Amino acid sequence: MDDAASGASRAVRISPEDVQRFCEFLYRRTGMSFTEGKRYFIDHRLEDRIAATGSPSFQAYFSLLRADADHEIEHLINSFTVNETYFYREDHQLRCMTSDLLGGIVGHKPPGSTVRIWSIPCSTGEEPYSIALWLMENWPQVDDYNIEIVGSDIDTRALRAATKGIYGDRALMRLSRDIVARYFRPVADGKHEIDEGLRDSIQFTRANMIDAQDMAKYRDFDLIFCRNVLIYFDDASRRQAAENLYDCLRPGGYICLGHSESMSRISPLFSVCRFPDAIVYQRPEADHG
Amino acid sequence: MADSGTTAKARILVVDDSSLVRLYYRSTLEKAGFEVEQAINGIEAMERVLSQRFDMVIVDVNMPRMDGFTFLRSLRCGADDTATLPALMISTESETQDIAEARAAGANFYLVKPVAEAELLRHVCVLTGAPL
Amino acid sequence: MPLVKGGSKGSAAGGVSTARPPALDSADAESRWAAARALAGQADAVPVLSAALARETVPRVREAIMTALMRTGDAASVEAILPYLRSQDAGLRAAAIEALQGLPSAIAPFMAPLFSDPDSDVRLLATELARNMKASEATRLLCALIEREQHPNVCAAAIDVLTEVGTPEALPALEKCAVRFAATSFLPFAISMAISRISGGEG
Repeated sequence: MDDAASGASRAVRISPEDVQRFCEFLYRRTGMSFTEGKRYFIDHRLEDRIAATGSPSFQAYFSLLRADADHEIEHLINSFTVNETYFYREDHQLRCMTSDLLGGIVGHKPPGSTVRIWSIPCSTGEEPYSIALWLMENWPQVDDYNIEIVGSDIDTRALRAATKGIYGDRALMRLSRDIVARYFRPVADGKHEIDEGLRDSIQFTRANMIDAQDMAKYRDFDLIFCRNVLIYFDDASRRQAAENLYDCLRPGGYICLGHSESMSRISPLFSVCRFPDAIVYQRPEADHG
Repeated sequence: MADSGTTAKARILVVDDSSLVRLYYRSTLEKAGFEVEQAINGIEAMERVLSQRFDMVIVDVNMPRMDGFTFLRSLRCGADDTATLPALMISTESETQDIAEARAAGANFYLVKPVAEAELLRHVCVLTGAPL
Repeated sequence: MPLVKGGSKGSAAGGVSTARPPALDSADAESRWAAARALAGQADAVPVLSAALARETVPRVREAIMTALMRTGDAASVEAILPYLRSQDAGLRAAAIEALQGLPSAIAPFMAPLFSDPDSDVRLLATELARNMKASEATRLLCALIEREQHPNVCAAAIDVLTEVGTPEALPALEKCAVRFAATSFLPFAISMAISRISGGEG
């Protein structure tokens, strides 16, 4: 294809036009965009990925990227985002949940009704436990309803860890000492185990978001947190997942994506809703036709 | 709104799935002193419009996931003042029915591509109240 | 504790309003939606999906039918979706392009006929389909198009794709285009951007 990989030990030359091409691809594909001031950020990561893939030129790398060879898109996006999971991550969405979403959700429900919330993927459990903690700490009406929280993931090892509910300091870094004291107990190796009552109240299941049959077992959710996973899927899988998630929501139910994600790159099935703390997406209330 | 005496630049949202078209409009408009944001389709446009103040939107028709007509109709149905956001629709279609559809969807003006810089600026100035 | 560990199933039997199995010809959109989704990837369902698409008016059901066809992804599915590039409905055209974009190998044999279509709107939309192809193949197809294309908007669309995927082989065709459209708005700008991107790096 291109010239022989001469000077493989030298850094590959990346021109401003190459960076433009790359940025436009990234923006089109993911919605991520960077101001002039953040250009260095891109240059470094692009260099890293070119080196990591052993690409002899920008063009060779760009072809690889466009073909998503060896899951390069996933590696690239990972290099641009912080991937740690921890308690109260992106808490503005949790705030949106209690400030704005739940009001609409329970508006038509009598007290004692069920509110169903899904965290998918739930990874090692920080997200569903965070939802539970946040509700108990911040929702005045938390005792008026039966709240079902389900946490699902494709990774059974992560699920096992989630059911154990044992976390290190980094995972707890956003929680106040007071919350840690009330909901966790110290265990070996300086870690903390979340309260047994909480562990028992979250249902953890294995589910594959792209598998319609798997997802058919899940229905009538009022709120779904689906954060930082769809951005990694290819177009066809994102579309499939969006259709599946739509079916899992009640009409009028909401879905929250990750902070770098947007339905504009996924599906037109949901309406855009802007609240003070977050943009969320809603399955339309009524079915027309 | 730009008028004599204010320094606030009018803010324009450019919605087109072609990066070259967005670049073209942006360079024309920024040279003329406007602030420009971009979106690639109607869904992203809706997110931007709901999150930031704009003085007008320039919107293409053929875009993936949500076309320009669907976006405009949604915009006009909104409950707040985004519903009256001035909209310049720019499309490749030139049939009378397309112009009628644009009007019905809520476009203030309709232009056919390719658009000359002067023509773009003239319509933008009318819709934002900026001096020509 | 207000938290309860429920079953994973919803309390109600989902949103399907009838007790009958979902059907593509149901009067209820929810039922048609479910039926289309259930047929995804089934090659022998392409004819019924195609027929359903022809009469479907609800956008999300149309898209579910197209997704179902996409999952099969063979020549028959492509043929079922292609006519909608000619639709008067912008949403339907966009849905068709999106579905076809996911099938770069299946659409490949159709590219030359699409680029020779008498309808400039079809030629224009078809340029988008080259975006997900290999750079050399996309460049070859798009250059063949712009070399004979008279309609500025079709060229503009092809040039937009070339800006992303074009190889240096595209430069001669782009330079000829620049001459042909020198007096047209936007095209000189677009062509110079494309040329600069393609030849900018040594890459």
